[in-house]
Amino acid sequence: MATPVTGAESGSAPARLRHLEPWLYLLPGLLIFTAFMAIPTAGTIILSLTDWNGISWNTAIFNGLANYQRALESVQFRTAFWNNLKLIPFFVLLPALIGLIPAAIVHQLRLRGGRWFQAGLFLPYIMPGVLIGVVWAWILNPIFGPVNKVLKQLGWASPPTWLGDFIWALPTVGFIGAWAAYGFCYVVFLAGLQKIPNDQYEAARIDGAGMWQEFTGVTLPGLRGEIAVVLSINLINALRAFDVIKTTTDGGPGTETQVMALYMINSAFGANQAGYGAAIAVLLSVITLVGSMLILRFAGERNG
Amino acid sequence: MVRKILAYTLLLLGAAIAILPFVVTILASLKTAPELAKGIFSLPNEAQWQNYEKAWTQGHFGRFFGNSIIVAVGVVVPSIFLSTLTGYAFARFRFRGSNIAFTYLLLGLVIPLQAMVVPLYYVLREIGLLDSLVGLILPQIAMSLSFGTLLMRQGFLSVPNDVMEASIVDGANSWQSLWQVMFPLSRPMVGTIGLMFFIWTWNEFMLPLVVNVNPKYHTLPVGLMYFQDRWTANIPLIAAGATIIFLPIIAIFLIFQRQLIEGITQGAVKG
Repeated sequence: MATPVTGAESGSAPARLRHLEPWLYLLPGLLIFTAFMAIPTAGTIILSLTDWNGISWNTAIFNGLANYQRALESVQFRTAFWNNLKLIPFFVLLPALIGLIPAAIVHQLRLRGGRWFQAGLFLPYIMPGVLIGVVWAWILNPIFGPVNKVLKQLGWASPPTWLGDFIWALPTVGFIGAWAAYGFCYVVFLAGLQKIPNDQYEAARIDGAGMWQEFTGVTLPGLRGEIAVVLSINLINALRAFDVIKTTTDGGPGTETQVMALYMINSAFGANQAGYGAAIAVLLSVITLVGSMLILRFAGERNG
Repeated sequence: MVRKILAYTLLLLGAAIAILPFVVTILASLKTAPELAKGIFSLPNEAQWQNYEKAWTQGHFGRFFGNSIIVAVGVVVPSIFLSTLTGYAFARFRFRGSNIAFTYLLLGLVIPLQAMVVPLYYVLREIGLLDSLVGLILPQIAMSLSFGTLLMRQGFLSVPNDVMEASIVDGANSWQSLWQVMFPLSRPMVGTIGLMFFIWTWNEFMLPLVVNVNPKYHTLPVGLMYFQDRWTANIPLIAAGATIIFLPIIAIFLIFQRQLIEGITQGAVKG
Protein backbone atom coordinates (compact mmCIF):
# COMPACT_ATOMS: atom_id res chain seq x y z
CA MET A 1 0.00 0.00 0.00
CA ALA A 2 1.20 3.45 -0.79
CA THR A 3 0.77 5.84 2.05
CA PRO A 4 2.08 9.33 2.43
CA VAL A 5 5.07 9.41 4.74
CA THR A 6 3.36 12.01 6.85
CA GLY A 7 -0.09 13.24 7.63
CA ALA A 8 -3.59 12.28 6.71
CA GLU A 9 -4.72 10.54 3.56
CA SER A 10 -5.37 13.10 0.90
CA GLY A 11 -8.93 12.66 -0.19
CA SER A 12 -9.67 12.34 -3.86
CA ALA A 13 -8.19 9.23 -5.52
CA PRO A 14 -9.99 5.90 -4.94
CA ALA A 15 -8.11 3.83 -2.37
CA ARG A 16 -7.32 0.94 -4.69
CA LEU A 17 -5.59 3.24 -7.13
CA ARG A 18 -3.63 4.96 -4.40
CA HIS A 19 -0.73 2.53 -4.62
CA LEU A 20 -0.17 3.62 -8.21
CA GLU A 21 0.44 7.21 -7.24
CA PRO A 22 4.22 7.06 -6.58
CA TRP A 23 4.69 5.02 -9.74
CA LEU A 24 3.07 7.77 -11.78
CA TYR A 25 5.77 10.13 -10.51
CA LEU A 26 8.46 7.59 -11.30
CA LEU A 27 7.22 6.50 -14.69
CA PRO A 28 8.71 9.14 -17.02
CA GLY A 29 12.07 9.02 -15.30
CA LEU A 30 12.14 5.23 -15.26
CA LEU A 31 11.26 5.04 -18.94
CA ILE A 32 13.97 7.34 -20.16
CA PHE A 33 16.51 5.84 -17.75
CA THR A 34 15.69 2.36 -18.94
CA ALA A 35 15.82 3.22 -22.62
CA PHE A 36 19.04 5.22 -22.63
CA MET A 37 20.95 3.89 -19.64
CA ALA A 38 19.86 0.44 -18.51
CA ILE A 39 19.26 -1.14 -21.90
CA PRO A 40 22.55 0.07 -23.40
CA THR A 41 24.41 -1.09 -20.30
CA ALA A 42 22.88 -4.55 -20.51
CA GLY A 43 23.49 -4.33 -24.25
CA THR A 44 27.21 -3.88 -23.66
CA ILE A 45 27.38 -7.19 -21.83
CA ILE A 46 25.35 -9.02 -24.47
CA LEU A 47 27.24 -7.42 -27.34
CA SER A 48 30.55 -8.32 -25.74
CA LEU A 49 29.65 -11.98 -26.21
CA THR A 50 29.18 -11.63 -29.94
CA ASP A 51 31.18 -11.16 -33.07
CA TRP A 52 29.51 -8.29 -34.87
CA ASN A 53 30.64 -5.77 -37.44
CA GLY A 54 28.04 -3.24 -36.32
CA ILE A 55 26.38 -3.04 -39.71
CA SER A 56 23.30 -5.23 -39.85
CA TRP A 57 21.81 -7.05 -36.87
CA ASN A 58 21.57 -10.48 -38.48
CA THR A 59 25.33 -10.73 -38.95
CA ALA A 60 25.92 -10.93 -35.19
CA ILE A 61 27.27 -14.30 -34.06
CA PHE A 62 27.41 -15.48 -30.47
CA ASN A 63 31.01 -16.28 -29.69
CA GLY A 64 31.10 -16.64 -25.91
CA LEU A 65 34.13 -15.21 -24.19
CA ALA A 66 36.26 -15.05 -27.31
CA ASN A 67 36.35 -11.23 -27.30
CA TYR A 68 37.60 -11.18 -23.74
CA GLN A 69 40.24 -13.75 -24.50
CA ARG A 70 41.31 -11.76 -27.52
CA ALA A 71 41.52 -8.54 -25.51
CA LEU A 72 43.53 -10.05 -22.70
CA GLU A 73 45.94 -11.60 -25.19
CA SER A 74 46.18 -8.52 -27.39
CA VAL A 75 49.32 -6.44 -27.17
CA GLN A 76 47.32 -3.31 -27.90
CA PHE A 77 44.92 -3.79 -25.01
CA ARG A 78 47.76 -4.62 -22.65
CA THR A 79 49.64 -1.52 -23.76
CA ALA A 80 46.53 0.59 -23.20
CA PHE A 81 45.90 -0.91 -19.78
CA TRP A 82 49.53 -0.46 -18.80
CA ASN A 83 49.42 3.18 -19.92
CA ASN A 84 46.36 3.75 -17.75
CA LEU A 85 48.32 2.33 -14.82
CA LYS A 86 51.24 4.62 -15.62
CA LEU A 87 48.88 7.59 -15.44
CA ILE A 88 47.94 6.76 -11.85
CA PRO A 89 50.88 8.47 -10.11
CA PHE A 90 50.15 11.61 -12.12
CA PHE A 91 46.36 11.61 -12.05
CA VAL A 92 45.88 10.19 -8.54
CA LEU A 93 48.78 10.76 -6.16
CA LEU A 94 50.32 13.98 -7.46
CA PRO A 95 47.18 16.16 -7.37
CA ALA A 96 46.18 14.69 -3.99
CA LEU A 97 49.57 15.68 -2.56
CA ILE A 98 49.60 19.12 -4.19
CA GLY A 99 46.10 19.67 -2.78
CA LEU A 100 46.69 18.20 0.65
CA ILE A 101 49.80 20.14 1.68
CA PRO A 102 48.46 23.68 1.20
CA ALA A 103 45.09 22.70 2.68
CA ALA A 104 46.82 21.37 5.80
CA ILE A 105 49.05 24.44 6.05
CA VAL A 106 46.12 26.83 5.70
CA HIS A 107 44.20 25.01 8.38
CA GLN A 108 47.02 24.41 10.85
CA LEU A 109 48.37 27.95 10.60
CA ARG A 110 44.78 29.20 10.83
CA LEU A 111 45.23 31.36 7.78
CA ARG A 112 42.34 33.53 6.78
CA GLY A 113 41.16 33.59 3.21
CA GLY A 114 41.96 29.96 2.44
CA ARG A 115 38.51 29.76 0.92
CA TRP A 116 39.15 32.77 -1.24
CA PHE A 117 41.80 30.91 -3.19
CA GLN A 118 39.55 27.99 -3.90
CA ALA A 119 37.77 29.87 -6.67
CA GLY A 120 40.90 30.10 -8.78
CA LEU A 121 42.15 26.67 -7.83
CA PHE A 122 38.89 25.03 -8.68
CA LEU A 123 38.50 26.49 -12.15
CA PRO A 124 40.36 23.84 -14.19
CA TYR A 125 38.23 21.08 -12.73
CA ILE A 126 35.00 22.35 -14.29
CA MET A 127 36.49 23.03 -17.70
CA PRO A 128 35.82 20.72 -20.66
CA GLY A 129 38.60 18.16 -21.12
CA VAL A 130 38.74 19.13 -24.79
CA LEU A 131 39.48 22.72 -23.90
CA ILE A 132 42.21 21.68 -21.46
CA GLY A 133 43.72 19.49 -24.15
CA VAL A 134 43.63 22.17 -26.83
CA VAL A 135 45.06 24.89 -24.59
CA TRP A 136 47.91 22.70 -23.32
CA ALA A 137 48.63 21.36 -26.79
CA TRP A 138 49.32 24.95 -27.78
CA ILE A 139 51.31 25.85 -24.65
CA LEU A 140 53.50 22.79 -25.14
CA ASN A 141 53.69 22.96 -28.92
CA PRO A 142 57.37 22.61 -29.89
CA ILE A 143 57.18 25.22 -32.65
CA PHE A 144 54.82 27.99 -31.50
CA GLY A 145 54.24 27.07 -27.87
CA PRO A 146 55.45 29.41 -25.13
CA VAL A 147 57.07 26.69 -22.97
CA ASN A 148 59.76 25.69 -25.44
CA LYS A 149 60.28 29.29 -26.45
CA VAL A 150 61.16 30.12 -22.86
CA LEU A 151 63.34 27.03 -22.51
CA LYS A 152 65.25 27.98 -25.66
CA GLN A 153 65.77 31.49 -24.37
CA LEU A 154 67.13 29.98 -21.19
CA GLY A 155 69.74 28.19 -23.26
CA TRP A 156 68.26 24.73 -23.81
CA ALA A 157 68.98 24.35 -27.51
CA SER A 158 66.58 21.52 -28.28
CA PRO A 159 63.99 20.91 -25.57
CA PRO A 160 61.76 17.82 -25.92
CA THR A 161 58.69 18.02 -28.12
CA TRP A 162 56.68 16.96 -25.04
CA LEU A 163 53.41 15.56 -26.41
CA GLY A 164 55.14 14.31 -29.53
CA ASP A 165 58.07 12.73 -27.72
CA PHE A 166 58.17 8.97 -27.15
CA ILE A 167 59.56 9.33 -23.65
CA TRP A 168 57.84 12.53 -22.56
CA ALA A 169 54.34 12.13 -24.00
CA LEU A 170 52.87 10.07 -21.18
CA PRO A 171 54.32 12.06 -18.28
CA THR A 172 53.26 15.25 -20.05
CA VAL A 173 49.68 14.04 -20.41
CA GLY A 174 49.96 13.00 -16.77
CA PHE A 175 51.01 16.49 -15.70
CA ILE A 176 48.08 17.99 -17.57
CA GLY A 177 45.78 15.63 -15.65
CA ALA A 178 47.42 16.55 -12.35
CA TRP A 179 47.10 20.23 -13.18
CA ALA A 180 43.39 19.79 -13.85
CA ALA A 181 42.73 18.00 -10.55
CA TYR A 182 44.84 19.49 -7.77
CA GLY A 183 42.54 22.41 -7.06
CA PHE A 184 39.62 20.06 -6.68
CA CYS A 185 41.61 17.98 -4.17
CA TYR A 186 42.48 21.15 -2.24
CA VAL A 187 38.84 22.20 -2.00
CA VAL A 188 37.65 18.79 -0.80
CA PHE A 189 40.43 18.59 1.80
CA LEU A 190 39.80 22.12 3.03
CA ALA A 191 36.10 21.34 3.47
CA GLY A 192 37.01 18.15 5.35
CA LEU A 193 39.36 19.99 7.67
CA GLN A 194 36.56 22.29 8.84
CA LYS A 195 34.88 19.23 10.29
CA ILE A 196 37.80 18.27 12.56
CA PRO A 197 37.00 19.53 16.09
CA ASN A 198 39.40 22.27 17.12
CA ASP A 199 40.07 20.76 20.54
CA GLN A 200 41.94 17.94 18.83
CA TYR A 201 44.48 20.51 17.67
CA GLU A 202 44.45 22.20 21.09
CA ALA A 203 45.16 18.87 22.76
CA ALA A 204 48.00 18.14 20.36
CA ARG A 205 49.48 21.56 21.04
CA ILE A 206 49.28 21.09 24.79
CA ASP A 207 51.17 17.86 24.28
CA GLY A 208 53.84 19.92 22.58
CA ALA A 209 53.20 18.74 19.02
CA GLY A 210 54.85 20.68 16.20
CA MET A 211 53.41 21.29 12.74
CA TRP A 212 54.46 17.84 11.53
CA GLN A 213 53.06 15.96 14.53
CA GLU A 214 49.82 17.90 14.19
CA PHE A 215 49.73 16.88 10.56
CA THR A 216 50.29 13.18 11.16
CA GLY A 217 48.40 13.00 14.45
CA VAL A 218 45.32 15.10 13.77
CA THR A 219 45.06 16.28 10.17
CA LEU A 220 45.69 12.99 8.37
CA PRO A 221 43.42 10.81 10.54
CA GLY A 222 40.75 13.49 10.42
CA LEU A 223 40.81 13.54 6.63
CA ARG A 224 40.59 9.76 6.25
CA GLY A 225 37.22 9.88 4.50
CA GLU A 226 38.11 12.76 2.18
CA ILE A 227 41.41 11.16 1.21
CA ALA A 228 39.61 7.95 0.29
CA VAL A 229 37.05 9.82 -1.80
CA VAL A 230 39.62 12.00 -3.57
CA LEU A 231 41.89 9.08 -4.38
CA SER A 232 39.08 6.99 -5.75
CA ILE A 233 37.70 9.83 -7.89
CA ASN A 234 41.18 10.54 -9.22
CA LEU A 235 41.64 6.85 -9.92
CA ILE A 236 38.41 6.71 -11.86
CA ASN A 237 39.60 9.70 -13.90
CA ALA A 238 42.92 7.98 -14.57
CA LEU A 239 41.34 4.73 -15.73
CA ARG A 240 38.66 6.40 -17.84
CA ALA A 241 40.92 9.11 -19.27
CA PHE A 242 39.74 10.07 -22.75
CA ASP A 243 39.01 13.73 -23.57
CA VAL A 244 42.41 15.23 -22.81
CA ILE A 245 44.29 12.39 -24.47
CA LYS A 246 42.11 12.39 -27.56
CA THR A 247 42.75 16.10 -28.08
CA THR A 248 46.46 16.19 -27.21
CA THR A 249 48.11 13.02 -28.49
CA ASP A 250 45.27 10.82 -29.77
CA GLY A 251 47.17 7.91 -28.27
CA GLY A 252 50.49 8.71 -29.87
CA PRO A 253 53.27 8.94 -30.62
CA GLY A 254 53.00 5.31 -31.67
CA THR A 255 50.94 3.84 -28.85
CA GLU A 256 52.79 5.65 -26.07
CA THR A 257 49.63 7.27 -24.69
CA GLN A 258 47.08 4.76 -25.95
CA VAL A 259 44.57 4.20 -23.15
CA MET A 260 41.68 1.79 -22.67
CA ALA A 261 38.88 4.25 -23.45
CA LEU A 262 40.55 5.36 -26.66
CA TYR A 263 41.23 1.78 -27.72
CA MET A 264 37.60 0.91 -26.96
CA ILE A 265 36.21 3.69 -29.15
CA ASN A 266 38.69 2.97 -31.95
CA SER A 267 37.93 -0.75 -31.92
CA ALA A 268 34.15 -0.34 -31.82
CA PHE A 269 33.73 2.50 -34.30
CA GLY A 270 37.01 2.83 -36.15
CA ALA A 271 37.55 -0.87 -36.81
CA ASN A 272 33.85 -1.83 -36.89
CA GLN A 273 34.24 -4.49 -34.23
CA ALA A 274 31.27 -3.68 -32.03
CA GLY A 275 31.47 -6.90 -30.02
CA TYR A 276 35.15 -6.52 -29.32
CA GLY A 277 34.71 -2.87 -28.38
CA ALA A 278 31.93 -3.83 -25.98
CA ALA A 279 34.17 -6.42 -24.33
CA ILE A 280 36.79 -3.72 -23.75
CA ALA A 281 34.08 -1.47 -22.31
CA VAL A 282 33.17 -4.21 -19.84
CA LEU A 283 36.81 -4.77 -18.89
CA LEU A 284 37.35 -1.04 -18.47
CA SER A 285 34.28 -0.73 -16.24
CA VAL A 286 35.16 -3.74 -14.10
CA ILE A 287 38.75 -2.57 -13.64
CA THR A 288 37.54 0.91 -12.66
CA LEU A 289 34.96 -0.42 -10.23
CA VAL A 290 37.37 -2.83 -8.55
CA GLY A 291 40.09 -0.20 -8.35
CA SER A 292 37.92 2.45 -6.74
CA MET A 293 36.42 -0.06 -4.30
CA LEU A 294 39.90 -1.19 -3.27
CA ILE A 295 40.96 2.41 -2.61
CA LEU A 296 37.82 3.20 -0.65
CA ARG A 297 38.41 0.13 1.50
CA PHE A 298 42.13 0.53 1.85
CA ALA A 299 42.11 4.25 2.58
CA GLY A 300 39.06 3.90 4.76
CA GLU A 301 40.62 1.23 6.94
CA ARG A 302 44.24 2.28 7.06
CA ASN A 303 43.71 4.90 9.70
CA GLY A 304 40.49 3.59 11.13
CA MET B 1 54.72 35.55 10.46
CA VAL B 2 57.31 34.40 7.95
CA ARG B 3 55.57 31.07 7.81
CA LYS B 4 52.28 32.76 7.03
CA ILE B 5 53.78 34.80 4.22
CA LEU B 6 55.33 31.65 2.78
CA ALA B 7 52.00 29.87 3.01
CA TYR B 8 50.17 32.69 1.24
CA THR B 9 52.81 32.73 -1.46
CA LEU B 10 52.32 29.02 -1.96
CA LEU B 11 48.56 29.43 -2.26
CA LEU B 12 48.90 32.34 -4.63
CA LEU B 13 51.26 30.32 -6.78
CA GLY B 14 48.85 27.39 -6.83
CA ALA B 15 45.93 29.59 -7.86
CA ALA B 16 48.05 31.42 -10.45
CA ILE B 17 49.16 28.19 -12.10
CA ALA B 18 45.54 27.05 -12.23
CA ILE B 19 44.33 30.26 -13.89
CA LEU B 20 47.29 31.21 -16.05
CA PRO B 21 46.49 28.99 -19.07
CA PHE B 22 43.07 30.61 -19.35
CA VAL B 23 44.51 34.10 -19.05
CA VAL B 24 47.10 33.54 -21.78
CA THR B 25 44.40 31.98 -23.97
CA ILE B 26 42.22 35.07 -23.68
CA LEU B 27 45.22 37.28 -24.40
CA ALA B 28 46.20 35.16 -27.40
CA SER B 29 42.68 35.36 -28.78
CA LEU B 30 42.97 39.14 -29.03
CA LYS B 31 46.33 39.31 -30.77
CA THR B 32 47.66 38.89 -34.26
CA ALA B 33 49.85 35.86 -34.89
CA PRO B 34 53.12 37.87 -35.16
CA GLU B 35 52.20 39.76 -32.01
CA LEU B 36 51.65 36.48 -30.19
CA ALA B 37 55.00 35.18 -31.38
CA LYS B 38 56.69 38.09 -29.61
CA GLY B 39 55.25 37.37 -26.19
CA ILE B 40 52.33 35.57 -24.59
CA PHE B 41 51.90 37.72 -21.48
CA SER B 42 51.90 41.08 -23.19
CA LEU B 43 48.65 42.89 -23.78
CA PRO B 44 47.60 43.21 -27.43
CA ASN B 45 48.35 46.56 -29.04
CA GLU B 46 44.89 46.62 -30.39
CA ALA B 47 42.28 44.00 -29.55
CA GLN B 48 41.78 41.81 -32.59
CA TRP B 49 38.05 41.20 -32.33
CA GLN B 50 38.02 39.88 -35.87
CA ASN B 51 39.55 36.66 -34.50
CA TYR B 52 36.22 36.05 -32.81
CA GLU B 53 34.29 37.07 -35.87
CA LYS B 54 36.30 34.66 -37.98
CA ALA B 55 35.96 31.80 -35.50
CA TRP B 56 32.26 32.50 -35.13
CA THR B 57 31.47 32.57 -38.87
CA GLN B 58 34.22 30.80 -40.85
CA GLY B 59 35.02 28.42 -37.99
CA HIS B 60 31.28 27.78 -37.46
CA PHE B 61 31.55 28.45 -33.75
CA GLY B 62 28.28 30.32 -34.00
CA ARG B 63 26.54 27.12 -34.97
CA PHE B 64 28.44 25.01 -32.42
CA PHE B 65 27.49 27.52 -29.76
CA GLY B 66 23.84 27.42 -30.76
CA ASN B 67 23.87 23.61 -30.74
CA SER B 68 25.52 23.55 -27.33
CA ILE B 69 22.89 25.93 -25.94
CA ILE B 70 20.02 23.90 -27.39
CA VAL B 71 21.44 20.67 -26.00
CA ALA B 72 22.18 22.23 -22.60
CA VAL B 73 18.67 23.64 -22.23
CA GLY B 74 17.16 20.46 -23.66
CA VAL B 75 18.98 18.40 -21.06
CA VAL B 76 18.89 20.63 -17.99
CA VAL B 77 15.21 21.60 -17.93
CA PRO B 78 13.70 18.12 -18.46
CA SER B 79 16.30 16.59 -16.14
CA ILE B 80 15.32 18.94 -13.33
CA PHE B 81 11.65 18.22 -13.96
CA LEU B 82 12.07 14.43 -14.04
CA SER B 83 14.44 14.38 -11.05
CA THR B 84 11.91 16.42 -9.12
CA LEU B 85 9.22 13.83 -9.83
CA THR B 86 11.37 10.81 -9.00
CA GLY B 87 12.95 12.42 -5.94
CA TYR B 88 9.50 13.40 -4.70
CA ALA B 89 8.15 9.88 -5.19
CA PHE B 90 10.88 8.45 -2.95
CA ALA B 91 10.71 11.22 -0.36
CA ARG B 92 6.97 11.40 0.08
CA PHE B 93 5.62 7.88 -0.42
CA ARG B 94 6.35 4.57 1.22
CA PHE B 95 5.46 1.88 -1.25
CA ARG B 96 6.28 -1.66 -2.17
CA GLY B 97 9.24 -1.79 -4.54
CA SER B 98 10.55 1.64 -3.61
CA ASN B 99 13.91 0.28 -2.50
CA ILE B 100 14.40 -1.67 -5.70
CA ALA B 101 13.33 1.27 -7.86
CA PHE B 102 15.63 3.61 -5.94
CA THR B 103 18.64 1.32 -6.26
CA TYR B 104 17.88 0.83 -9.95
CA LEU B 105 17.77 4.56 -10.62
CA LEU B 106 20.98 5.14 -8.68
CA LEU B 107 22.89 2.59 -10.75
CA GLY B 108 23.68 5.45 -13.07
CA LEU B 109 26.05 6.81 -10.44
CA VAL B 110 28.45 3.93 -11.04
CA ILE B 111 27.84 3.36 -14.76
CA PRO B 112 30.00 5.64 -16.88
CA LEU B 113 29.11 6.56 -20.44
CA GLN B 114 31.99 4.38 -21.59
CA ALA B 115 30.24 1.30 -20.25
CA MET B 116 27.27 1.81 -22.53
CA VAL B 117 28.32 4.03 -25.41
CA VAL B 118 28.78 1.22 -27.95
CA PRO B 119 25.23 -0.20 -27.76
CA LEU B 120 23.84 3.29 -27.20
CA TYR B 121 25.11 4.20 -30.65
CA TYR B 122 23.16 1.32 -32.17
CA VAL B 123 20.05 2.09 -30.12
CA LEU B 124 20.14 5.63 -31.46
CA ARG B 125 20.74 4.33 -34.97
CA GLU B 126 17.70 2.04 -34.71
CA ILE B 127 15.41 4.90 -33.73
CA GLY B 128 16.95 7.26 -36.29
CA LEU B 129 18.56 9.68 -33.84
CA LEU B 130 22.14 9.59 -35.08
CA ASP B 131 23.24 12.96 -36.37
CA SER B 132 20.66 14.91 -34.43
CA LEU B 133 20.57 17.04 -31.31
CA VAL B 134 17.79 14.91 -29.79
CA GLY B 135 20.22 12.00 -29.95
CA LEU B 136 22.48 13.94 -27.62
CA ILE B 137 19.71 15.19 -25.37
CA LEU B 138 17.87 11.98 -24.46
CA PRO B 139 20.91 9.95 -23.28
CA GLN B 140 22.21 12.88 -21.27
CA ILE B 141 18.86 13.26 -19.52
CA ALA B 142 19.12 9.57 -18.60
CA MET B 143 22.68 10.11 -17.39
CA SER B 144 21.58 13.04 -15.20
CA LEU B 145 18.70 11.27 -13.50
CA SER B 146 20.63 9.26 -10.90
CA PHE B 147 22.34 12.24 -9.37
CA GLY B 148 19.19 14.35 -9.68
CA THR B 149 16.98 11.76 -7.99
CA LEU B 150 19.43 11.35 -5.14
CA LEU B 151 19.74 15.06 -4.47
CA MET B 152 16.09 15.98 -4.94
CA ARG B 153 15.04 13.20 -2.58
CA GLN B 154 17.50 14.58 -0.01
CA GLY B 155 16.16 18.07 -0.58
CA PHE B 156 12.53 17.02 -0.09
CA LEU B 157 13.38 14.97 2.99
CA SER B 158 14.99 18.01 4.57
CA VAL B 159 11.76 20.00 4.34
CA PRO B 160 10.25 19.93 7.85
CA ASN B 161 7.41 17.44 8.16
CA ASP B 162 4.84 19.90 9.46
CA VAL B 163 5.22 22.03 6.35
CA MET B 164 4.09 19.17 4.17
CA GLU B 165 1.41 18.17 6.67
CA ALA B 166 0.05 21.68 6.64
CA SER B 167 -0.36 21.59 2.88
CA ILE B 168 -2.12 18.24 3.13
CA VAL B 169 -4.47 19.54 5.79
CA ASP B 170 -5.23 22.43 3.48
CA GLY B 171 -6.60 19.82 1.09
CA ALA B 172 -3.82 19.87 -1.47
CA ASN B 173 -3.23 16.63 -3.35
CA SER B 174 0.32 15.36 -3.77
CA TRP B 175 0.80 17.12 -7.12
CA GLN B 176 -0.33 20.47 -5.74
CA SER B 177 1.76 20.21 -2.60
CA LEU B 178 4.78 19.33 -4.75
CA TRP B 179 4.60 22.42 -6.94
CA GLN B 180 3.08 24.88 -4.47
CA VAL B 181 5.08 23.97 -1.38
CA MET B 182 7.84 21.41 -1.75
CA PHE B 183 9.46 22.53 -4.99
CA PRO B 184 9.77 26.20 -4.01
CA LEU B 185 11.24 25.17 -0.65
CA SER B 186 13.85 23.00 -2.39
CA ARG B 187 15.10 25.72 -4.69
CA PRO B 188 18.73 25.60 -3.46
CA MET B 189 18.87 21.91 -4.35
CA VAL B 190 17.26 22.59 -7.72
CA GLY B 191 19.94 25.22 -8.33
CA THR B 192 22.72 22.81 -7.46
CA ILE B 193 21.57 20.00 -9.72
CA GLY B 194 20.78 22.47 -12.50
CA LEU B 195 24.34 23.79 -12.39
CA MET B 196 25.81 20.31 -12.37
CA PHE B 197 23.65 19.19 -15.28
CA PHE B 198 24.68 22.26 -17.23
CA ILE B 199 28.41 21.75 -16.69
CA TRP B 200 28.24 18.04 -17.52
CA THR B 201 26.27 18.69 -20.68
CA TRP B 202 28.37 21.66 -21.81
CA ASN B 203 31.57 19.64 -21.35
CA GLU B 204 30.39 16.30 -22.75
CA PHE B 205 32.70 15.14 -25.49
CA MET B 206 32.61 11.39 -26.05
CA LEU B 207 28.88 11.15 -26.73
CA PRO B 208 28.69 13.85 -29.42
CA LEU B 209 31.96 12.61 -30.90
CA VAL B 210 30.47 9.15 -31.41
CA VAL B 211 26.87 10.03 -32.20
CA ASN B 212 27.17 13.02 -34.52
CA VAL B 213 29.43 12.77 -37.52
CA ASN B 214 27.69 15.53 -39.47
CA PRO B 215 29.33 18.89 -38.56
CA LYS B 216 25.89 20.48 -38.68
CA TYR B 217 25.15 18.94 -35.29
CA HIS B 218 28.50 19.42 -33.58
CA THR B 219 28.55 20.96 -30.14
CA LEU B 220 31.39 23.18 -28.95
CA PRO B 221 33.85 20.55 -27.61
CA VAL B 222 33.75 18.40 -30.75
CA GLY B 223 33.73 21.51 -32.91
CA LEU B 224 36.83 22.82 -31.15
CA MET B 225 38.66 19.54 -31.65
CA TYR B 226 38.12 19.47 -35.42
CA PHE B 227 38.79 23.19 -35.59
CA GLN B 228 42.15 22.65 -33.90
CA ASP B 229 43.01 19.93 -36.41
CA ARG B 230 42.29 22.21 -39.33
CA TRP B 231 43.84 25.45 -38.11
CA THR B 232 46.79 24.07 -36.14
CA ALA B 233 49.07 27.00 -36.81
CA ASN B 234 46.58 29.81 -36.34
CA ILE B 235 46.78 30.06 -32.57
CA PRO B 236 44.84 33.33 -32.13
CA LEU B 237 41.90 31.78 -33.95
CA ILE B 238 42.02 28.57 -31.89
CA ALA B 239 42.33 30.67 -28.75
CA ALA B 240 39.23 32.63 -29.76
CA GLY B 241 37.32 29.38 -30.24
CA ALA B 242 38.55 28.07 -26.89
CA THR B 243 37.51 31.31 -25.18
CA ILE B 244 34.01 30.99 -26.64
CA ILE B 245 33.72 27.64 -24.85
CA PHE B 246 35.03 28.63 -21.47
CA LEU B 247 33.68 32.14 -20.96
CA PRO B 248 30.14 30.88 -20.22
CA ILE B 249 31.55 28.45 -17.68
CA ILE B 250 33.62 31.16 -16.02
CA ALA B 251 30.58 33.44 -15.90
CA ILE B 252 28.47 30.75 -14.28
CA PHE B 253 31.30 29.89 -11.94
CA LEU B 254 31.69 33.48 -10.79
CA ILE B 255 27.97 33.84 -10.14
CA PHE B 256 27.28 30.50 -8.48
CA GLN B 257 30.71 29.66 -7.09
CA ARG B 258 29.63 28.41 -3.68
CA GLN B 259 26.75 26.26 -4.92
CA LEU B 260 28.87 24.87 -7.70
CA ILE B 261 31.73 23.81 -5.45
CA GLU B 262 29.27 22.21 -3.05
CA GLY B 263 27.56 20.42 -5.89
CA ILE B 264 30.78 19.05 -7.31
CA THR B 265 32.11 17.87 -4.01
CA GLN B 266 28.79 16.08 -3.50
CA GLY B 267 28.44 14.93 -7.07
CA ALA B 268 32.04 13.88 -7.33
CA VAL B 269 30.92 10.32 -6.76
CA LYS B 270 29.35 10.36 -10.19
CA GLY B 271 32.70 11.12 -11.78
